[in-house]
Amino acid sequence: MNDSHSSNNHSQRPSHEDSSDSRLVEAHSQLAKNKEEPSEGFSSLPIVIVFLFCGFGFWAGVYLTRNAGGFSANTFDLDAPRLVADSGPKVFEADLAKGEKLFIQQCAACHQANGLGVPGAFPPLAGSPWPLGNDERIIKIVLAGLAGEIEVKGAKYVGNMPNIGAGLNDAQVANIVSYVRSAWGNNAEAVTDVKVKDIRKAIGGRGQYSPKEILDAHPLETK
Amino acid sequence: MSQDYSSRGSVSRIDASISVPVRTFIFSSLLWLLVASVLSLIVALKLQVPSFLGECPWFTYGRIETLQRNAFIYGWASNALFALNLWIMSSLARFELKSSWLPVLGGIVWNLTLTYGLIQVLLGQLNGFALLEMPKEVAPAMVVAFLFAALWPAVAFARRPTGNVFVSQWYIIGATFVFPVITVVAQLMLLWCPTLGVMQALVHSWFYQNLILLWLGGSALSAVYYFVAKESGRTISAYYLATVGFWTLFLFASWTGPATLLGGPIPVWLQSVGVVAALLMLVPTVITAVNIFGTLAPRNGIAQAWNNTTLRFVLVGAISFTLSALLNIVFSTRSLNALVRFTPFGQAQEHLAIYSFVSMVIFGAAYYILPRLTGSFWPSAKLVHLHFWSCAAGSLLFVVAGLTQGWAAHGRTDFAVSALPGLLAASLLLVGHFAFALNALGMLAADKAPSNRRSY
Repeated sequence: MNDSHSSNNHSQRPSHEDSSDSRLVEAHSQLAKNKEEPSEGFSSLPIVIVFLFCGFGFWAGVYLTRNAGGFSANTFDLDAPRLVADSGPKVFEADLAKGEKLFIQQCAACHQANGLGVPGAFPPLAGSPWPLGNDERIIKIVLAGLAGEIEVKGAKYVGNMPNIGAGLNDAQVANIVSYVRSAWGNNAEAVTDVKVKDIRKAIGGRGQYSPKEILDAHPLETK
Repeated sequence: MSQDYSSRGSVSRIDASISVPVRTFIFSSLLWLLVASVLSLIVALKLQVPSFLGECPWFTYGRIETLQRNAFIYGWASNALFALNLWIMSSLARFELKSSWLPVLGGIVWNLTLTYGLIQVLLGQLNGFALLEMPKEVAPAMVVAFLFAALWPAVAFARRPTGNVFVSQWYIIGATFVFPVITVVAQLMLLWCPTLGVMQALVHSWFYQNLILLWLGGSALSAVYYFVAKESGRTISAYYLATVGFWTLFLFASWTGPATLLGGPIPVWLQSVGVVAALLMLVPTVITAVNIFGTLAPRNGIAQAWNNTTLRFVLVGAISFTLSALLNIVFSTRSLNALVRFTPFGQAQEHLAIYSFVSMVIFGAAYYILPRLTGSFWPSAKLVHLHFWSCAAGSLLFVVAGLTQGWAAHGRTDFAVSALPGLLAASLLLVGHFAFALNALGMLAADKAPSNRRSY
């Protein structure tokens, strides 16, 4: 049943037999009507496939009920219900793994995943005194942004960092900041969500800091 | 069956009736292919030497890359698929086109509009949506041009002499109806009366996935089925599954959009639906693989296919389709997707789909169609070989480039070094495309006055 029309193995031969197309359509229509006959080398593959597909369908249903957040238009994060359930009056502990994930999503586009920034464009965070020492400086910059000329490790940068933290919650900011303060050889203590909350409340919905303003409030600590 | 061929050579009446529009489409697609290949080389060079042509705003990366992508998809692939769809459908449905000037007119308007839109892009008039970058006034003109140029397969299908239908015909009809619908809806919701916020990203992802998977992919799949059956002389194995493959592809592909926005600020149930749809794409992928490879595998069919110019290209295309679909499925799972999100891995995967799959299938089809249309031989067999090998190597390297760049984006290696395979790939493809264009243009030029043959 597999050789219903003549083969033509020389694609460069310039001839186009009109009738072969009709035969092709006819032969396949017959196939579609007759299905496969068990006598002619019946293959079990299609049946296995059908069972597999039913399995997929079942899995899809289960996956959707478990991962659809109740089909609510206001659920944006799969972890959200679990966070709510866990959030008792317990002490906040910075989660560096979450911090790293958030850093890659939110910060690495400019500061790079290795924290070294891009020379001449984006200042490094690794080994820079800016994120270290007093944690209020970096929290404020993350919350409100920083615009203007700064000097980091002897190089000048004219930066324009947006208020990344304004779109994140207190715990997320605390995780990112704690990650930055501990990654790539940086060695400063973690920060808590309560601290972020207090600072956010204190500075209000303000615009970007200028370098002078932030350094007057929190001068860089020299080692 | 009628064997009355027209006066000259062995060009059939059907082929003669659609000769002018098919030539118009193939000729335009060739020009766009060359334009896109040169632009692709410039883009790859810019990744190596960012200052290359950097003085002139016309040649900044954003504009050139946009230009390249639009010229490739709307200029090369779409024009070529107009030709393929029309030719395959006319052959299968025994359709003789009476008013061939209508699709020619559509093709001319399509290409002029595209040229205008791309010049606007070059001048800096870009929209922020991939493949909808051209100014909004271009959109309606392109939809109208599409209807004139590409709706003829539907007419052919409606007038087919018998009720029998081959799977290629479903794919062509599906793809032909998808394009105008998604373009009109996306342009209304993104450019003319923009929806708010997150809805834009959702609409765009829906448009993009439909365009790539259904308009380009669906049309190319029809050619895969047709040429595998036709050139191997075999019937499609497990043919009755093909219906399921067709419907599941068109059902699930439309829903995969949100899976490209995983982790974004869209409601989590939409993301999950996208993930499920993306994973269920396994159904059409497995079915097409069983159909195509099941047909070619027994009785030394792969070796025969390898010795046949058309089937060799189509085979590479079919393998690439399966591979790209599998990659898409695996990396739509939440945890793996987080690894490759925002990296050039996505480009590698897309390249596998629109170049290694769609374009290779178009090449294979052109090697079959053009001789039958012109009644003459390909001028140079050497150029055919050069074309195949440089394109096969180039497209493989492009995928490698996406992977190395993705690795570099994780901060593991130096980016400029990682982009080197891309430069090499772009050069190889340029060589291959020039070889193909030289051959094809030589053939079209040698065969003068096609209008003589239409007097039957």
